[in-house]
Amino acid sequence: MAEYDIYDIEDIRKLVDGELPWTTVQQMMKNGKDRDRFDKWVAILQGRVSWKEKILLPLTPALFIVQKPAERVVKCRCGHEFGDYRVNWKLSALIYVRDTDEKISEVYRGHEKPDLTWMQLREYYCPGCGSQLEVESMPRGCPPDFEFLPDLDTFYREWVGHPLPDTVEFADRTPERIKEWSSR
Amino acid sequence: MGNQLKLKDQLGLNDELFAKTGCMFGLEKLVEKEKNPGLYEAVWHILLSVCNTAWEVGCKVSASPVAAEGGDALWALHTPTGECICTSRGITAHVGLLASMVRKFIEMGYEDSPGFKHGDIFENNDPHYGGIHMPDMDTAMPIFYKGKLVAWASSVTHVADAGAVLPGSINFMNPDTFSDGMPVSLERIGENDRYYPWYELRIKSRTRAPDWVLGDARGRLAGLITVREKLIETIDKYGLEFFEKASREYIEDSRRYAVARIRNQAVPGRVRKSQFKDLTMKGKNVLMPKQNVDLLSNVPMEMNIDGNANVRLSLAGASGSVPFGQNITPTALSSALLMGYSHVVGFDMFNSGPTYALTVDEPPPGSWCNPFPVDWFASTGMGWSSAIRWLSSLYEVTGRLYYMRGFVEEMSAGAGTTMCAEWNGINQYGQYAVCLTLEQASNGSPARGICDGEPAAWCLYTANADFGNAEVMELYYPFMYLGRNMEPDSGGYGKFRGGMGHTTVWMVKNSPEMHYSAACAGANSKITANHGMYGAYPMPGDRVAYAAGTNVKELIEKRQPLVHGRGDDPDHPTLAQNITADVMNNDVVVPTIIPETLHEYDLVINPTSGSQAMGDPIERDPALVKDDLDKGVTRSWVAENVHGVIARKGADGDWEVDQKATQEKRARICEERKRRGVPFSEWWLKERKQVAAGANMDEAVKRMWRSSMKLSPGYAAEIRAFWNLPDDFEF
Repeated sequence: MAEYDIYDIEDIRKLVDGELPWTTVQQMMKNGKDRDRFDKWVAILQGRVSWKEKILLPLTPALFIVQKPAERVVKCRCGHEFGDYRVNWKLSALIYVRDTDEKISEVYRGHEKPDLTWMQLREYYCPGCGSQLEVESMPRGCPPDFEFLPDLDTFYREWVGHPLPDTVEFADRTPERIKEWSSR
Repeated sequence: MGNQLKLKDQLGLNDELFAKTGCMFGLEKLVEKEKNPGLYEAVWHILLSVCNTAWEVGCKVSASPVAAEGGDALWALHTPTGECICTSRGITAHVGLLASMVRKFIEMGYEDSPGFKHGDIFENNDPHYGGIHMPDMDTAMPIFYKGKLVAWASSVTHVADAGAVLPGSINFMNPDTFSDGMPVSLERIGENDRYYPWYELRIKSRTRAPDWVLGDARGRLAGLITVREKLIETIDKYGLEFFEKASREYIEDSRRYAVARIRNQAVPGRVRKSQFKDLTMKGKNVLMPKQNVDLLSNVPMEMNIDGNANVRLSLAGASGSVPFGQNITPTALSSALLMGYSHVVGFDMFNSGPTYALTVDEPPPGSWCNPFPVDWFASTGMGWSSAIRWLSSLYEVTGRLYYMRGFVEEMSAGAGTTMCAEWNGINQYGQYAVCLTLEQASNGSPARGICDGEPAAWCLYTANADFGNAEVMELYYPFMYLGRNMEPDSGGYGKFRGGMGHTTVWMVKNSPEMHYSAACAGANSKITANHGMYGAYPMPGDRVAYAAGTNVKELIEKRQPLVHGRGDDPDHPTLAQNITADVMNNDVVVPTIIPETLHEYDLVINPTSGSQAMGDPIERDPALVKDDLDKGVTRSWVAENVHGVIARKGADGDWEVDQKATQEKRARICEERKRRGVPFSEWWLKERKQVAAGANMDEAVKRMWRSSMKLSPGYAAEIRAFWNLPDDFEF
């Protein structure tokens, strides 16, 4: 694969902000991918948040995994923290479920409306800023998707080439949080 | 190099070399590429042109609407052992199936009996032996050069009818394999570049559109011969040794490319994405009592990427096979995955290579994606159906990974659904006809990471999105297009929305009777897909409308308004406002074969979905909302309630956004969310009681959970643990 590191950070910023002509974007799509895109990307995003913790991985447009002094946590762009990144952050979010005709009619009407005995529409909000972080369309009984549990240490050590100073176990800690709730 | 070994032995050696080196054919170095990269690239493009020439020739020879107008076909070139080297444009989901078919011929010992010789034609459409469903007919031909088998040409076309129990080729209604149609089970079907007469006789007596099915067969053959003759010219020019070496390198090159893209664009770790597929048939006209049931299928995806960029996919949790055509085999699913991978990973030499960069764990035996170990007679009449929903997840999950690395230009949200419109009856020429329209081959495209998707220009199951020309389809089929318009708000709601789908309005014309089916090739109707990526709302499900015994003839004579779309208000559809009819249904849950026979001037309103959105809808640029309002592709209540944009229609008909009021409205929406949202732990405490009680859960949902948990004990344990339910809990 040809790899061309021909885009500087300003090119990437323009790309992200939708300022490049479509033909240029298409050319970027066709070209080989710049190997240091991640560094540029994180630098752009780091400059856009008001807090100081180092971004380890942008999870979504609103959420980041960041390095705290003794742990890695999920943090919203607004500053609200969701705790250990190995626990599904949805467990620390606000949830609103559209499970009645009145609630679903605010989004869908007439033939567009789903059958609410077949599915729930779950909205996850940031308790800090009220951003709608994710929406799930699931039948009752389905646990929330833990969309991505990154193997951060492998990523930084073997793919990015800058190992993180400490290492943590690559493991899903969500079940432990549930156990805590269960024992209440 | 060389082909001295028996092909079966060569297959074994290939597998050994891959296991030992991790490289296809043991190619740790790409010698020809390194030695002469220009020639290497040039010959690749020649081979690509050879396949695309075959596509042009084959589709035109075929003359069937599906191939000639829709291009729903494919031609490919393979190594002697079956690995695909290169493929034409067209339905690329079949590349893996064609490769596995050639491999199967070899594994079955066909090299010895009946043997392979110049001019032989082999075929399979039987899912039990590597097909996807009967209408997709996979054909192959060995290519010899100076007496040596040096390659295979292959082809697939989707025929209009393969003799299933009901007319057409989107055979969702089939209760079992005996209703799936006319099988061709890994057979030699011709010699000396001609089909056997008995092969043609079978098509004539066992399919409902024999002229088109035979036309497709001739198209496949014409394309195969084209590949063969053009390849021989290529080998004459560049030499057999170079071709043999380079063709294998193209495959290994593509495998490496796929691995490198994952390593460069993704992040190692575990991805999970739930997805579901509904199938509501209770109370509808069905063929067997066991089909009088509503079903929900669990279509889960878990993807693990390790430090070496190896991708491993699992369907643990998949629910059981269904008494309809919506089952698929692991072979066909892997082939579909290769195509999906080609879209989202984007290797530039499309061939078998990336198959070897992926591992798919065997799906739970007895599930919709691996039915035969438990039910050998399960139908795969429309095998793509649930698989399409699974592939839709692939788009979103890779989009998420690419976002994390900053490759926003490569992102996509989830895909559209695939609902097919099929007709049968007497056409305008007085003949019985089965009519697969091509509307579904032109969804809106998914939202990108930096902009909206494009309207009606994309399709999940083929890179060759094309719904054909309405005027040409009217020559083939006995109806008129009264409308083919973008459907407002059919691309979900988000910062970036999916491309709009389109709604087709057909009026039956020049036919004494027609039957319409809203057939399932991957539709959702009771539910929306689980694609609320980054806070977007998923697009609505698929519902059709129709009117039988209408006053349309009278309206035309009086030059009064007809129907050209659904209208902007789902609570007051245009059909009900403009038309009177003996039977009218504006909200038909699909799939369905509508019970009424349709006659002249009867109407069908058939939506083709957009694709999914991404991002919080209140972060959508108000200027884009205004643009959508001006173009009529969003509705004012959506602009205000969902996007939080306050706009007013000016005297000139254009919309004006009140920026200050919009800011205030959006701030109020955020505050309202914080007010009404509850901490997840509080919700969990209440919800687990509802889950345990099975409250407000349709029996289809409970049936799905019972099935998933039975087939995948590990998945079941996770669900019980999440809701703190007893170890023996069952829904």
